[in-house]
Amino acid sequence: MIATIVHTDELLQTIAASLIAGIGVTFLFSVGIWGAGQFTELGRGERPVAATAAALVGVLALLCVAGAVITGIIVMTHK
Amino acid sequence: MSSDVILFLVIATALAFDFTNGFHDTANVVATSISTGAARPQVAIGFASLLNFVGAFISISVAATVAKDVVDAEVITPTIVFAGLIGAIAWNLITWYFGLPSSSSHALIGGVVGSAVAAVGFDAVIAEGVIGKVLIPAVVAPILAFLVAGIAIGLSYRVVGKQRPGIVSRGYRYGQIVSGGLLALAHGTNDAQKTMGIITLALIANGTLGAESDPPFWVIASSATAIALGTYSGGWRIIKTTGTRIIKMDAAQGFSAQGAGAAVILASTHFGFPLSTTHVINGGVMGSGAAKRLSAVRWGVAGNIMVAWLLTLPAAAAIGALTYGVTRIVGTGALGPMLVTLMALSLVVTAFARRAKGGAPVEATGT
Repeated sequence: MIATIVHTDELLQTIAASLIAGIGVTFLFSVGIWGAGQFTELGRGERPVAATAAALVGVLALLCVAGAVITGIIVMTHK
Repeated sequence: MSSDVILFLVIATALAFDFTNGFHDTANVVATSISTGAARPQVAIGFASLLNFVGAFISISVAATVAKDVVDAEVITPTIVFAGLIGAIAWNLITWYFGLPSSSSHALIGGVVGSAVAAVGFDAVIAEGVIGKVLIPAVVAPILAFLVAGIAIGLSYRVVGKQRPGIVSRGYRYGQIVSGGLLALAHGTNDAQKTMGIITLALIANGTLGAESDPPFWVIASSATAIALGTYSGGWRIIKTTGTRIIKMDAAQGFSAQGAGAAVILASTHFGFPLSTTHVINGGVMGSGAAKRLSAVRWGVAGNIMVAWLLTLPAAAAIGALTYGVTRIVGTGALGPMLVTLMALSLVVTAFARRAKGGAPVEATGT
């Protein structure tokens, strides 16, 4: 009875999408901040190669955040 | 003629509800940004208002659920919808008066279910829709937001834990402009659609639209405008409760709470679940606080909010049923709804006048 009432597939997809998007975006944004922090620290310590690598990782993470947000909005508008 | 007057009253009342929904739920959207200093209050509210408006145009899945999956449109009359709306608005105003962030969405669904039961009996309620699309998501959504925000903030602290606090705070504050914007967009998509669904239900009940019709464009545009204006008007009392009384947040917690809220609401909207944005963002706020330190959450305030949540469906249903009874005292025409509208307006003016004098008991939130 309950199994027929509950929209199990839709509910599970909602849970999965929320976990992946919510945790993923926050994690990637944190990596972006880490990259900015490391770039500043390592740049001060005159380690330009490591600083550039950290900055690249940070920028990539922020680009992934932007991509995830745009993808989310596109999915919403194409239901 | 009489049915047209009632339909007009329903549409005006639905848009008024939409306004109070935006007004009541402004806190959900902007409180975390304001409390962490990510945005100035007026800027945050203006931005949220604009994105609420845009969000309302994104999807109509939730509107379809409200119009077709909660009560049987075949037996519903515009007067039933009207009484349900009055129940929802009354409960929204009561919880606003006491500073409690309860759910406008559940108030709306509770009000309509209550008035439908009073008018037609339990046969009018689509149990499958109410349980599967409203009650179960209502339980799952805040727990999900709690978990998402908790795990997200735990990971974030691990990633940025050794960085200088200045750059971390600044970074998350910038991030909150995006996460707050997404949350406002999500709020617009889910909450404005409930009004669209209710107006569509009334149009179907009046015979203006066919049983399987989607909301017309003018319904979408007017709902978007009403919720955006309501959001712009703001609800400072509830902003204070959500933003500072549940936990004292840092920018990272604000970002993770907003991100979790937006993710849960957008995913749910995609599948047509009309969930409570209030439940979700408060779940996110509590999750981001509890992950740092369980005692960081003021559980007494959280408990009071939960009591308001539990009361919302039955209380709005009871007011909706009572309102339907009152409209029928003077017959089946438009006179009943007109008298109820006048009574409701005078109560609203009284409540606002008392609030303006600062007479509302803010301590009712239990802090």
